[in-house]
Amino acid sequence: MERVLIRTNRLSKRYGSVPVVNDLNLEVRRGEIFGFLGPNGAGKTTTIKMLTGLLDPSEGEISICDYDIRRQPTQAKALMAYVPDQPKLYNKLSAREFLNLISALYRVPKGIAKERAEQLLGMFGLMERADELLEGYSHGMRQKVVLAGALIHQPKVILLDEPTVGLDPASARLLKDILQEMARQGAAVFVSTHILEIAERMCHRVGILKDGSLIAQGSPEELRQKVGHGGESLEDIFLELTGVRENAELIKSLEEE
Amino acid sequence: MKMIIPPPLDTPPAEKSFVQDFVLLLTNQLRVTLNTLKHQRKRTFIGMGILMIVFLSFLISMGAVSYGMLKSMQPETVQGFLSLFFLVGLASQIFFGLTAAFAALYMSEDLELLFMAPVPLRVVFAVKTVSVLMSNFLVAVLFAFLPGVFCGLLFEAKASYYLLVFLSGCGLWLTGTALAELLNLLVMRIVPPHRSKEAVGLMGALAGVLIALVFQIPGMMLGSQGKLDIGAMLAGKEQLLGVMNFFPSGWASLALTSGISDSFAAGLGWNLLILIFSAFLFLIALILLERGFRQGFISISQGDGGRRRKKRSVSSVDTTNRQQEKIFFETVGQDQETVVLPASRRAGMWAVAKKDLLSLKRDTREWFGYLIPLIIMAFFVVQFLFNASASSVSSLVMVLIMYTIMFSGNLALQAFGREGESDWLLNSVPLAGWPVVWGKLTAAVLPTLLLMEALLVGTSLAVGVSTSLTLILALAAIFLSLGSSAIGLYYSIKNCRYNPDKPQMRISPSASLMMYLINFCFILILGLSLCYLFPPAELVSALRMLPPATFEWNVQSGLLGGLYFLSRPLFWPVLFRISLGILLTGGLWSLIFFGFMAATVRQSRKGFRVELVTTSSKNRLR
Repeated sequence: MERVLIRTNRLSKRYGSVPVVNDLNLEVRRGEIFGFLGPNGAGKTTTIKMLTGLLDPSEGEISICDYDIRRQPTQAKALMAYVPDQPKLYNKLSAREFLNLISALYRVPKGIAKERAEQLLGMFGLMERADELLEGYSHGMRQKVVLAGALIHQPKVILLDEPTVGLDPASARLLKDILQEMARQGAAVFVSTHILEIAERMCHRVGILKDGSLIAQGSPEELRQKVGHGGESLEDIFLELTGVRENAELIKSLEEE
Repeated sequence: MKMIIPPPLDTPPAEKSFVQDFVLLLTNQLRVTLNTLKHQRKRTFIGMGILMIVFLSFLISMGAVSYGMLKSMQPETVQGFLSLFFLVGLASQIFFGLTAAFAALYMSEDLELLFMAPVPLRVVFAVKTVSVLMSNFLVAVLFAFLPGVFCGLLFEAKASYYLLVFLSGCGLWLTGTALAELLNLLVMRIVPPHRSKEAVGLMGALAGVLIALVFQIPGMMLGSQGKLDIGAMLAGKEQLLGVMNFFPSGWASLALTSGISDSFAAGLGWNLLILIFSAFLFLIALILLERGFRQGFISISQGDGGRRRKKRSVSSVDTTNRQQEKIFFETVGQDQETVVLPASRRAGMWAVAKKDLLSLKRDTREWFGYLIPLIIMAFFVVQFLFNASASSVSSLVMVLIMYTIMFSGNLALQAFGREGESDWLLNSVPLAGWPVVWGKLTAAVLPTLLLMEALLVGTSLAVGVSTSLTLILALAAIFLSLGSSAIGLYYSIKNCRYNPDKPQMRISPSASLMMYLINFCFILILGLSLCYLFPPAELVSALRMLPPATFEWNVQSGLLGGLYFLSRPLFWPVLFRISLGILLTGGLWSLIFFGFMAATVRQSRKGFRVELVTTSSKNRLR
């Protein structure tokens, strides 16, 4: 449980002179589901893009399963999966062809890949339309294909950016179950979300990002103690810490009037 | 269904070689292309076939011309001519390759996915380079391979010569593509990701103009009646042409001329130089590309990585937001206590117009719609300047009026399709009907009218049309623009569509054709009624000579009788004739304008729907 699979050390990103992520120190251990929270524009997606190697940090280090993402990107990426908020896929491939491609890219042996693709297609209810081109899929279906692609190569680290957007309740529940099962099997799950209920119910620990800086991290219980109000929901803690409590109070007072 | 999640891997799987990864990605690229072709409609293939025939006929005519030129040249001039030809080919490859490289390396939807995969970046770039190479294939055939083949045929070269042609062609092909990729690095740096689609649109428009110009060459040659002799132009300029020998185009021509003069080894040497040079360029391009993406010098087009961000003071923004929120809620509270304010129709109209005008201003792709009439107008004006005569003044004015009408209608056709997937907005606001339609009309007419008035008045003054006629033309342009825009708006609201892949295609082709047809009828009936106001002398004298029509029950007699009946007011006293002219012109214009506007308003009240056009209905593979 203690082995750290995602580690950032003084991670920073600047666009020109504008800082987007400042001095970020994160640790996500095996078997842990880590919720990454923050208001819009806090730098969550930028952080995830740096963790996945899509963006190079301006400063700092990232290691995934002890592989430096800049120096050993191929090894790190082979053990990692990323589910973006916008499912960008090959429109002119079918779901089955797409899963075959992902398996080949992640070097899953052919026989195993075929068997696993069928299992995943069945699990996500995509079997009937598995041979249709992805351009005809709805947002939710595309999201399911991305999720299937993320699971097919047995990742040790999975990063998800707003994974429940566009999913129906049953699929969202399935996703939660999958992530919990993955964590149980020893994977590190890093979820960026706005849905605090998901974070509260599912995550072992959460980190709150504001203006590019990590202002708090710990289990929901630890955060409650930090804020000093026992029994409050994660939503209240989040609003308190991100400084939009005043707005919430204003809305509440208007509702009462 | 039982959830089966395999346990996570402890160690990464064994790495694959560059070739294995390259073959995998290339196979995938081919599968995507094959699937795209499989799901094309039949009419696309017919269109491609027609284009191919046009292209082949162009190729044959150009080939015949080039062959004829080569034949008439001195042997020492041939090398210079080939150098020039190859240079033009390299320039074309750079231009077209730049567009392809930009699309493949900056706009591909799969970049994020591929960059995330455990595949070295250089493999991704190598596969993308293959697609750029393929897009340059046709240009390479035209400007790198065929000239060599023609030379060989002309000078009856040996079979080994054609190996040199192949090698030099490949060398030039690779060099052009590598240079395009290098230049593309600069373009990717300059163009921010959120402007990439517009940049490709601009490059496409420029390519279109270039192609149109190239297709003028056979016509120009025919028009010159043998005066255009490139051989004579090049003769005596050997020193100047010698400079070309320092560049790849010169090396290729040297390789071919060596081959013709049976110095195969020398030809092979020159070809080797081109191939090494192109490999060197590719190496630099790939290294810089990889470094560019890694260091964030170039960002992936998806996301806002490359968008310029401004520093903001967080505390001040938060405070302002809170203050505004407080004011908003307080105002809402007050309104609820009193009454809900009725929506201002005029403000609504202006809001709709402003939204469209802002879209026109901010989306540079919208500007291309205005560039086309400008280019065509410029063509007519230049033609007039070269061939000015009294009759060409009137024909130029006629052309200007025709374009005013056609482009007003055409740009109004885009109005409702511009809503795209946001059509729900105008359908849900309490402004359906006149405010929305007048707003759309204002936005469609204002820019077109300004442009057309400037062109019409400017051109009229430049070609020396009298002030009174210029004023009449300016006034007429206002009414014509409004009339044809009303027609355009009606067809727009009834047939608007949106294709996410081609956001500029906002109307069905059949509706576009119908709009043009109705606009022609509009011009025809307006022209008739205007004849009563300004009777053309030639027409009046011709009509005077016509015998009185006798009516019989057949179509021909009916038509002649109708025309005779219509022509009679031309011989009425001036006052009656002009009164009838004003009445008819005003009446017909009002009928068309208000009729189409009312029909558009009726549709707007019923609600309009922008049809989403995709190929998803035909996407089953099995």
